[in-house]
Amino acid sequence: MSALPVTSHRSFSPSRVLAICSITLLELIRLKVFYILLLFSVAIIGSSLLMVDLTFQEEFQMLKDVSLGAMSIFTWLLAVLPTALLLPKDTEDRTLYTILAKPVGRFEYLLGKLLGVLCMVAIATVLMTAVSYVVLYVHEQSVIHSTARLVPPEQVQAATDSIRAAAFGVNLLPGVAVLYCKAALCAALTLFISTFSSSWIFTVSISVCVYLIGHVQSVARDAMQMKHPMGDAPLWNSLFLLVVTVFFPDLHIFSLVDDLAVGTPAPPLLIAEACGLGLAYTCGYLLLAYLMFAWKEL
Amino acid sequence: MSDPAISIENLTKVFRLSLKRETLTAVRNLSLRVEPGQVYGLLGPNGSGKSTTMKIVLGLVAPTSGATRIFGRDSTDVSSREDVGFLPENPYFYKFLTGRETMHFFGKLCGLGGARLRDRSMELLELVGLRDAAGRRIGGYSKGMLQRIGLAQALIQDPRLLVLDEPTAGVDPAGSRDIRDLILKFKARGITVLLCSHLLGHVQEICDRVGILDRGVLVREGPLDELISIENQTELILENASAALLADIEQKALASGARIVDSRKPQTTLERYFLDVTGGPARRDP
Amino acid sequence: MKRVVLAIVVLGLLGAAKIPFETDLSRKFREAHFHQGQVNLSMRNQLGQMGSIAALSGFRSVVADYLWIRAHVAWEHTEWGRMKLLFDAVTSLQPRSLLFWEGASWHMAYNASVAAMRDDRQPREALRIRSRDEFYRIGEDYLLRGINYNPERAELFDRLGTLYRDKMKDHCKAAWAYFEAEKRPDAMGYVPRMAAYELAACPGHEQEAYGLLVDLFHQGKQQRLPTLLILIDKLQKELQIPVAERIDITADLREGTPR
Repeated sequence: MSALPVTSHRSFSPSRVLAICSITLLELIRLKVFYILLLFSVAIIGSSLLMVDLTFQEEFQMLKDVSLGAMSIFTWLLAVLPTALLLPKDTEDRTLYTILAKPVGRFEYLLGKLLGVLCMVAIATVLMTAVSYVVLYVHEQSVIHSTARLVPPEQVQAATDSIRAAAFGVNLLPGVAVLYCKAALCAALTLFISTFSSSWIFTVSISVCVYLIGHVQSVARDAMQMKHPMGDAPLWNSLFLLVVTVFFPDLHIFSLVDDLAVGTPAPPLLIAEACGLGLAYTCGYLLLAYLMFAWKEL
Repeated sequence: MSDPAISIENLTKVFRLSLKRETLTAVRNLSLRVEPGQVYGLLGPNGSGKSTTMKIVLGLVAPTSGATRIFGRDSTDVSSREDVGFLPENPYFYKFLTGRETMHFFGKLCGLGGARLRDRSMELLELVGLRDAAGRRIGGYSKGMLQRIGLAQALIQDPRLLVLDEPTAGVDPAGSRDIRDLILKFKARGITVLLCSHLLGHVQEICDRVGILDRGVLVREGPLDELISIENQTELILENASAALLADIEQKALASGARIVDSRKPQTTLERYFLDVTGGPARRDP
Repeated sequence: MKRVVLAIVVLGLLGAAKIPFETDLSRKFREAHFHQGQVNLSMRNQLGQMGSIAALSGFRSVVADYLWIRAHVAWEHTEWGRMKLLFDAVTSLQPRSLLFWEGASWHMAYNASVAAMRDDRQPREALRIRSRDEFYRIGEDYLLRGINYNPERAELFDRLGTLYRDKMKDHCKAAWAYFEAEKRPDAMGYVPRMAAYELAACPGHEQEAYGLLVDLFHQGKQQRLPTLLILIDKLQKELQIPVAERIDITADLREGTPR
């Protein structure tokens, strides 16, 4: 047996993180999480078939809304459910011991696991976007062909342009990117919860609560920031608003697709800021997860 | 003088039972040293603190007080794990990976890569007798094969210390014999082994030194031969001895004031008998 | 326990640090016309419990679409009151969708108003007319509220102009609406003509309208449609424009009139 040269240990190694990331991605693929994409396809193709008696503008608007709404819920599910299972499964199978008994830092382990989930969510997001585009394109072509038969030849171009304007456009892509950032935030948050949670059901439940409260956090923040927020309201009311504002993320900021789908233009700088906020949250929750996991007794 | 493979000094571990003020002292003021090249058996009944001690050595659990070092490096330091290979009890690996991919995964965690990792993986798979099963998914491996791939992955970065937790638990006698033979091979190569087990027969066969833990306290520790030999008794095994000779020996012994404690025909072990009738230790899992 | 306290402290510190960023970003998004949809207690009956939760959880538009389809079903049963409640909920949830404001207004001002005039259960014509006018007002209200949420878009002003012109017969207001539409970058090409036509019908503004029509005439052949030409001719006579200054529309009218 040849002796391997002893290398000096680096406290952070991208190759170790990459190894854990790829195995996590592979594990998730083997768990058949992408079957959820079939559900997604059924949801949007099914909804496109149900829309009869509506104008083509209404049909396109609803198809876009259903696609983006489904994308929003599926990216969230794909981010939260597998993440909630990561630590309990590795602990139960003792793969956690085998991995951490190697010269792998706990931060590297957590980062690798999170990146694995995020890669899977990224693949799913790209596929869902592609399915949405295809369904809308097919629908668009069918509307264009049927309209061309009904309008005088000189109006065909104008009609085609207005149909194209109503269908899925590239203006929705920034919204999809922000949806992805929101899913990343939720995955990191779930990872943080799972570092102190006793079961994955508890993790998912807390994650769902944070998701729901996160969407109305801005209401609490606005109320808190009003000059005279509650008048004579008791102290605990203000305290409650403060707790919600400080401890919960504002997920409403990441819900841009509703407005993008109806043609509200997205300023690139604002989109970048929203993505940056999502990334900052993801890093923050990862840091918190590390704080809890670094001293966890396995 | 070189650093000990493992040094444990005044180690105490107290667990706080969740949501209660009660505490549980799993290990109490434990000190021991495992010298390089030794096969050290850490024995004890269930709940005696073996696993906790092992987890502290591996940095999976933090000590309440005291310190553990691996070749001079503190166990809480991640870099100390460069010198350790670990096989947990009933190891589980990713079922969807083949044996070769499993080795590659653990190799990458240790900073290996490229041709060096491929060669090293095959070398170890050969060593543990899994070369032919290298391309098969782990999900199809038998219990014995899982233990052997576990041993191979533990050795991937060529560690100087192996920590094995019940390495033969749940394995059939032939597989068990294979694993014991492998441990002796490792010993011959100069690898230090810390073995936790409550299968005393196995420990007796391979360990140089043992420590016995009971309720978190090290109650006995020392070289195996010294601990288990009975100083005032002598064992004499004769072949083809006649009845007259035996009677003569008995008479002389009594005359000299010695007492014959027992006289019987030696027996082979059940394990050896089992291995003889089932094809011997050379048999491998398919 | 120490690590739990530490995590809570870090979470609190990070949470406090993020508030200014979130407040700022939220404000910027509102200024860019995002996040204007609202879920309020008055929608509870339309949304139901699940709908309210969904709407509050980032699925406003899907819930709005669902309610829109229900409004469509209500239309098939000519349940105008129910439609209005559903439209109110839809437009509150998705106020940036012009389609919903426009559709809600059209159903009320064009369908419900006609149904009100044909209502056999109401024998008194005065009450039928009152009911019809009420639906016009509701239609107008949808468009005005929609404009409030989408001030940068021309489409709702255009529809408002048409409503004033065709239904409410208020040409001065129609002219104002078309002028407002004209100011928006996405205004349709016909809007300046409509503005001028309606101004011409607004008492006291004939001179101003004539100037606009002449300007349009000079923009080229594409503006010289029969209505514009006839209106120019009519105003020239009404305003007693000196013959030398008048525009001769006969050639263009002959060209534009189908033979």
